[in-house]
Amino acid sequence: MSFTYRLMLRDLRSGDLLTLLLALIISVSTVTSIGLFIDRLQLSFEQESANLLAADRLIRSDDAIPNIWQTKADDLGLKHAQRTSFTTMMFAGDSLQLSQLSAVSEGYPLKGAYLIDDTLFGTGSASTGMPVQGEIWVSSRLASLLNVTIGDQIEVGDVTLTVMKYLVRDPGSSTSAFAISPRAVMNMVDLAATNVIIPGSRVRYSLLLAGEKSILDQYEAWVMPQLNEGQRWQTPTQRGERIGDTIGRAESFLLLAGTLAVVMSGVAMALASARFVKRHLMQVAILKTLGATPQLLGKMFLQQLLTLFVAGAVIGLVIGWGIQEIIASLLSGLMSTTLPEPSVSRLWLGATTGLISMLVFCLPLISHLTKISPLSVLQPNAKVELNTFVIYLIGFIGLYGLMCVYTNGFLLPSIMTAAIFGIALLVAGMGWLAFKLGRSLTSGATSGWQIGLASLYRRLVPNLFQLLVFTLIIMLTLILIGVKSSLIADWQQQLPENAPNHYLFNVQANQIEQINNETHKLNVQTSDWFPMVRGRVTAANGVTVQSLYPDDKGEPELYERELNLTWSDTLGKGNELVSGDFSAQGLSIEQRVAKEAKLTLGDQLTLNIGGNIMTLPITSVRTVDWGSMQPNFYLILPKSALENYPANFVSSLFIDDASAQPFYKAMSQFPTVSILNVGDILKQIQSIIGQLSQAIQLVLFCILSAGALVLLASVRSTLEERLEEGALLRVLGAKSSLVRQALFVEFGALGFFSGLIAAIGAEMCLYGLQVFVFNADASFHPLLWLFGPLIGVCVISTIGIFASRTVLKVPPMLLLRGL
Amino acid sequence: MSRNTAIKVTNLTHTVTSNTGDLTILKGINMEIKESESVAIVGASGSGKSTLLGLLAGLDVNTSGEIVLYGNPFSSQTEEQRALARGQYVGFVFQSFHLLPSLQAIENVMLPAELKGDKKARQKAEALLEKVGLSHRLTHYPNQLSGGEQQRVAIARAFASDPKVLFADEPTGNLDEDNGNLIIKLLFELNQSQGTTLVMVTHDNDLAKMCDRQLIMSSGQLTEKSL
Ligand SMILES: Nc1ncnc2c1ncn2[C@@H]1O[C@H](COP(=O)(O)OP(=O)(O)O)[C@@H](O)[C@H]1O
Ligand SMILES: [Mg+2]
Repeated sequence: MSFTYRLMLRDLRSGDLLTLLLALIISVSTVTSIGLFIDRLQLSFEQESANLLAADRLIRSDDAIPNIWQTKADDLGLKHAQRTSFTTMMFAGDSLQLSQLSAVSEGYPLKGAYLIDDTLFGTGSASTGMPVQGEIWVSSRLASLLNVTIGDQIEVGDVTLTVMKYLVRDPGSSTSAFAISPRAVMNMVDLAATNVIIPGSRVRYSLLLAGEKSILDQYEAWVMPQLNEGQRWQTPTQRGERIGDTIGRAESFLLLAGTLAVVMSGVAMALASARFVKRHLMQVAILKTLGATPQLLGKMFLQQLLTLFVAGAVIGLVIGWGIQEIIASLLSGLMSTTLPEPSVSRLWLGATTGLISMLVFCLPLISHLTKISPLSVLQPNAKVELNTFVIYLIGFIGLYGLMCVYTNGFLLPSIMTAAIFGIALLVAGMGWLAFKLGRSLTSGATSGWQIGLASLYRRLVPNLFQLLVFTLIIMLTLILIGVKSSLIADWQQQLPENAPNHYLFNVQANQIEQINNETHKLNVQTSDWFPMVRGRVTAANGVTVQSLYPDDKGEPELYERELNLTWSDTLGKGNELVSGDFSAQGLSIEQRVAKEAKLTLGDQLTLNIGGNIMTLPITSVRTVDWGSMQPNFYLILPKSALENYPANFVSSLFIDDASAQPFYKAMSQFPTVSILNVGDILKQIQSIIGQLSQAIQLVLFCILSAGALVLLASVRSTLEERLEEGALLRVLGAKSSLVRQALFVEFGALGFFSGLIAAIGAEMCLYGLQVFVFNADASFHPLLWLFGPLIGVCVISTIGIFASRTVLKVPPMLLLRGL
Repeated sequence: MSRNTAIKVTNLTHTVTSNTGDLTILKGINMEIKESESVAIVGASGSGKSTLLGLLAGLDVNTSGEIVLYGNPFSSQTEEQRALARGQYVGFVFQSFHLLPSLQAIENVMLPAELKGDKKARQKAEALLEKVGLSHRLTHYPNQLSGGEQQRVAIARAFASDPKVLFADEPTGNLDEDNGNLIIKLLFELNQSQGTTLVMVTHDNDLAKMCDRQLIMSSGQLTEKSL
């Protein structure tokens, strides 16, 4: 074994390297576990989105899909399937009905599953398959209209198909767009024989693709130049609506937590590195005296650090993976499917964080170490000048970079950095004042109380630095707790018990009365009835949508599809006016879609409603609480504009399990009315929220434990000096109870001040985070001001006393000699 | 008797920066020390003896003038070269021992040989510790040893690299009389048996008298004490 490792093992035995190793392990494991977990959540979210698309990628086309596109997919090893959708007349016995029919090829859906049932208007269960040759699956609504049940025959063009299932939900239809027309799905092999598709038919062809992202990218690059006007490349939407919001915020929280973990591990590494270097100052000087060259020492330390890093990283990664598995197992029920395995490639994040914070904090110190002359260490009068400012500056820049990589952006790290600098200033100013005040109050130090306060001022700079560390950790804790509670409260508020779980739509004006009677009998409350008319935005400020988005790229949702329009004189429940005047004779637009389409008050939108064109100015912008489960609309028109159009009505209602069956039965009197059951989705959201709350609690716990360890490391780093002083006091005759009292006062005061400043800082940061990151309303947190100082005093004096416990028992002589 | 020159110092000046401004500790020192000579440097506390000793051993670089130790012109060498020279020619014993607290006695003594990649470091260290009478204390840590024992370990360590010159800065300053005498006996014994040049800073007149020459340090100047 080489000298380097022998020396290292000896250091390890003495505990000098242990602090650094521990800091490294904490740092790697926290960042790893949170990074992996966020990754899993994101992957699972992508999977969910893919389910909505029924594929990883999709090409939508107005013309038949060229064969070569499929051949190419085969060549690349991508899975593919086709869907052809069109509107056609269907016949069953005497009934006929225009309906939406999809023919799907073998393998469809590539992602997700059909929801089907054997009973009319059932809630459905996931099916792995699709209709086989000769079969057709129809929606309950279509079955009612055609008066068919399972086993009956339906004619589609020249082909007769047998109804096998009631179709509840297509995997390819997004929940946000209500498929109002009756629907059915059949196998592609029967399509040609029907002869319903003739030149000029309005048909939408889709090629669905699934496979590795890199291959999909390759395919995209190949196919994009070949797309014509009527063809479009689609990827899973990044954000579904409600679940997306909830998960999005949880992601933001975890990201924030991860960033804080990076900062904490940075602090831990900085402290441990400083201690490492301090403990090695003498070693280096002596080795130099004995003839060790700077080159040898540099190589030696580098080798030691790298070895330490490998050990710390491996242990940290294993622990991090374990923690992440525990978090994930708590979330096992999340999102109907199992959470995907985390990508191993994400492991580098934790490891890099450890490596960078170690290099950034250790290397400058060590390169300095190898350069200083041994005499300046061994000569008792000479002060070793370590340029700590530069070192911490370099360290901080490194941390900032890491945070940016971590959050994949600059906003969060910048807020944090600004906050930390602000806090540093605050700490320096307030701490100096407080320590000075403490000293002037305690001239003639005789009690432990006085000795404790006086020593705060005596070692001003180290104490201020320690105050900063304490403050940062407590502040981060308070921020996380604050964000967590407001997040969870927000979610719970978003989905109250008895939130509507069914929508009724396609209701004619003259049916409202009867339906109200039925629901009244069942003791079920409906929301208001909203008239609904379908229409499409064709132009904004006189410029047509086609010329605004010639190649359909980045087309905002508002222009992309046919919209449900309503009119109303009053702002409905869950809607809030942001700007403008709701009662004005113009359009009221939802804020998010307005932003996406870059529209503001006064812009003119042209709408095509059933072939009639009208142009209206935007006169108000509102936010919509999508969680309220009320019927909500992107655009609300003035009554005068829509009054004369044939409308049907929509409402939402809450139906508990007991009244579900009688309600469905009652509704069968109204075969034209569509019922959309979103209860399952709601239950899913509620369980996701419950589990996410648990996950967040757990992550919080992990970070707080890491924080406590950092505090411990920080206390230990200055403990030696404090104890040396304590030992001196005892040599001079002080009882160890006095020394303990003095230590208690010193740590208690440090804890109190850091808790107080942390509360100030946390309140400011929470404001920034709520407003800029979570897009929520700012609120005041009175409890922070109580808990900050309280936590500070309790935790820090406990840790301080705990850390110095054993040493207080040791005879002072031994202490003085050992230090 | 004409012996080879071990150390030659010409016009040595040394200035340090302290809190209160620049401080010139050594002001134009000239001297020569022959091989296997024993030299005592005496003088008031704070007169610059330790600084001079450190510079002679190449532990720091002087501001101006020239120090040559066995052909090594320290002030014009790189730290790399000085370190090699130290490893080859120099042993150093400090007033406050300066053992590495995380290493056992034997490990402290093994350091110089280990640095040179000597495979027999342990046997050598054992032999040296036996010579200084500590063969029963090999695996003790410095804080488990008395001051006298620590200094004996330090001496063993200084001799472990077979130095040509041994520098000792008040080696008995922190020790009681008995222990001090033991240390002095050891130093001179080793000095004689190995032919090492001994340069020692001391306050102890008796000790100084045992040396071949005495140099007096005062206000940054060095004068020879006439015998
Ligand atoms: N690196 C330094 N920085 C500041 N002052 C120093 C430094 N080195 C030595 N001194 C000062 O120079 C003077 C001489 O120191 P030193 O050589 O230790 O004297 P001696 O060993 O004779 O007691 C002392 O006053 C000491 O404080
Ligand atoms: Mg001295």
